[in-house]
Amino acid sequence: MNRTRWMATAAAAAVAALALAGCSGGSGSDSDSKSTSAPTLDPDKKVTITFLEAMASGSLKTELEKITKEFEEDNPNITVELQAQPDYNTLKTKIDAAVSAGNAPTIAQVYGEWAAAYADAQVLEPLTAYAADNPSATDGLYKGIKNSLYIDKTLYMWPFNASAVAMFYNPEMLKAAGQDVPTTWSEFAKVAKAVSKDGVVALPMDPGSSSGPAGGTTVFELIAEAYGTPVFADDGTPQLDSKAAVKALNYLVDLKKAGALQTGTNYPGETALGAEKGAFDISTTTSVYYDQEAVGDKFEMGIAPVPGADDGTRINQINGTNVAMFSGATDDQKAAAWKYMQFLTEAETQSEWAQATGYLPVNPATLKLDDMKDYIEKNPYVTFASEDLADSSALPPYAWVQDGLGDLGAALQSALAGNATPEEALKSAQEKAEKAMAADQ
Amino acid sequence: MRATRRGTLRSPVAYLFVLPALLIFLLFSIGPTVYTFALSFFKWNKLNPALSTYIGLQNYETVFTGQGDPSFWSTVGISLYFVVGMVVVGTAAGLVIALLLQRGSRLLSAVRTMVFLPHVTPLVATSLVWVWIFNPQFGLANLVVHATGHANIDWLGDSDWAMPAVLVYSLWHELGFVSIVFLGGLTTVSGELSEAAKLDGANAWQEFWYVTFPQLRPVLALVLLVESVTSLQAFTQFFVMTGGGPGYATATLGFQLYQQAFVFSNTGYAAALAVVLFLVTAALSILQLRLQGGGFPSFRSLLLRPRQLRKARTT
Repeated sequence: MNRTRWMATAAAAAVAALALAGCSGGSGSDSDSKSTSAPTLDPDKKVTITFLEAMASGSLKTELEKITKEFEEDNPNITVELQAQPDYNTLKTKIDAAVSAGNAPTIAQVYGEWAAAYADAQVLEPLTAYAADNPSATDGLYKGIKNSLYIDKTLYMWPFNASAVAMFYNPEMLKAAGQDVPTTWSEFAKVAKAVSKDGVVALPMDPGSSSGPAGGTTVFELIAEAYGTPVFADDGTPQLDSKAAVKALNYLVDLKKAGALQTGTNYPGETALGAEKGAFDISTTTSVYYDQEAVGDKFEMGIAPVPGADDGTRINQINGTNVAMFSGATDDQKAAAWKYMQFLTEAETQSEWAQATGYLPVNPATLKLDDMKDYIEKNPYVTFASEDLADSSALPPYAWVQDGLGDLGAALQSALAGNATPEEALKSAQEKAEKAMAADQ
Repeated sequence: MRATRRGTLRSPVAYLFVLPALLIFLLFSIGPTVYTFALSFFKWNKLNPALSTYIGLQNYETVFTGQGDPSFWSTVGISLYFVVGMVVVGTAAGLVIALLLQRGSRLLSAVRTMVFLPHVTPLVATSLVWVWIFNPQFGLANLVVHATGHANIDWLGDSDWAMPAVLVYSLWHELGFVSIVFLGGLTTVSGELSEAAKLDGANAWQEFWYVTFPQLRPVLALVLLVESVTSLQAFTQFFVMTGGGPGYATATLGFQLYQQAFVFSNTGYAAALAVVLFLVTAALSILQLRLQGGGFPSFRSLLLRPRQLRKARTT
């Protein structure tokens, strides 16, 4: 057999093998995903579950380990193996690889759009039957948080680490420029331009990229929503080139031209705030520790609600991830994992978690605990951030939203770099996002 | 030669010796390559292969009609920008540095080490360092720009500057390797021929161009080939420094391949891109070897060359 024929035969065999694989059972797809009753936990049986998560550093890591240990002490037959990943991109790559290899973790932290892709691939365990046993747990959650757990009306996720966006700022810079803390985006533009002088750029932000969104993408999303149209409709339809979106991007481009906005990567807001070269860092509440660390003793950092619409309406967004369970786990693992997931959202656990990490409690009951009240007294931002969380929603959980956010990140980069007008950049992003939506449906 | 090769292959013991290497090669190189070829004919669901569908050449149609986001042709253009920058500037600068450092002295040995050092540093770590060097507000690069009286440049955030910035970093990382290869080549160049040229009245440039450079042709072929292939496949610096942006200004073919496969889960389309990249790389390598007169220098040929030259001189 000559070389050409050999290669052709090998390729044909590989195609045939893949075609057969395509027709046979794939990884993780099993009948469990359609089960209507939740498995019960045998308290005398030892079981180990794996949790693929991204709490790999600082207080996030130590606190998750601490509360997990507390859970294991209460449930001596359950072992929770924490598998920390350095960041969310790596986490997703690891989950994808594990699922592809038929070796999915029992549970993992997921964003809504990731979960939608896993649900489409039939590798996620629906949790509706599990939650039916304890409806008060679900009903006790903030409405926006609760809504973010469902994909096509099926409960697929359980909350874990929620946060809202807040504005961290340098009060001394505002005072020196004779400016008050802005409460609307119009006021913000005025203040930002006023403080941007002598090497200070008011708002350094990461606009994201084609690889995915970043903090600056969220800022754009909030401004677009404040102008009347969110970037994704509730059913996931992209609205990236709406009038509101174009106005929002023009707003940012105008700030850039005025020297009041600077793009960058690796959390440029907190770096510049700490170096006293930036006046604002608009980021999630979990940044409080990182911003505080960057600022140190240089000045007393201010924390205020993120600016809202011009009519005073507060617009915020639920950030953070939920936890999803994979259908390939055994019934014992599923039952144990569900117990752990419920433990994570108990008021006492949430209180401990929130105080150590800057995440916000996912249920209002937590705010009524005495130790949480003490914590809020020392950290008043928790009150307004929790109020925002109660009234906000997360990005809709559809697989194509991931692509759309990458398209949006690329559009923001292009327009802020002056390589395209906001209209052109957003129109192109919209077309790409619509294409991604059509491909996924 | 042919008889010897056939005779060796007939020996069962020889097969045993090559078997481990062959198995590793089959498992980790040939196998995945064939698998990638096959994936390119599917709309592949990597999370659940049971849901994958055979779509024939549709992924290739998407590639060649430029329907992907960003289009295949724009990624090819961006890749060529990077490859030409790396190959032309990298090769020329590497050769100049090698010529400057070829004379032996302790100081020059230390400088050689310094030039080579960046090449052995991890790409991820040094890319991150260069992200800070190119930081528009605090970066060293803008300190220099500012000192010369110019306005700050948004190195990685401006479409016009992002690729040059990545090129500067990549050249910094690669020049050591190119210089060392040329330095190795220069040690095989005949000193007597240069002396003879000087005696015949050749100036320094003529001596380099007509005597030294022709003898470096095999090394040049190696450098061009290695630089072309590694530049075409460059990924880490784009991943860390620009994420393919701003917009898609640094979205090379290699980077897009990763994006499509691992970020957007378009595995079949990514496999088609990989096949095209494979074919382009192979074609480019063959073309360069042909243009260089088929002279792919092996270590054996580099070792033999001085002996052949000595033999030529004694006859």
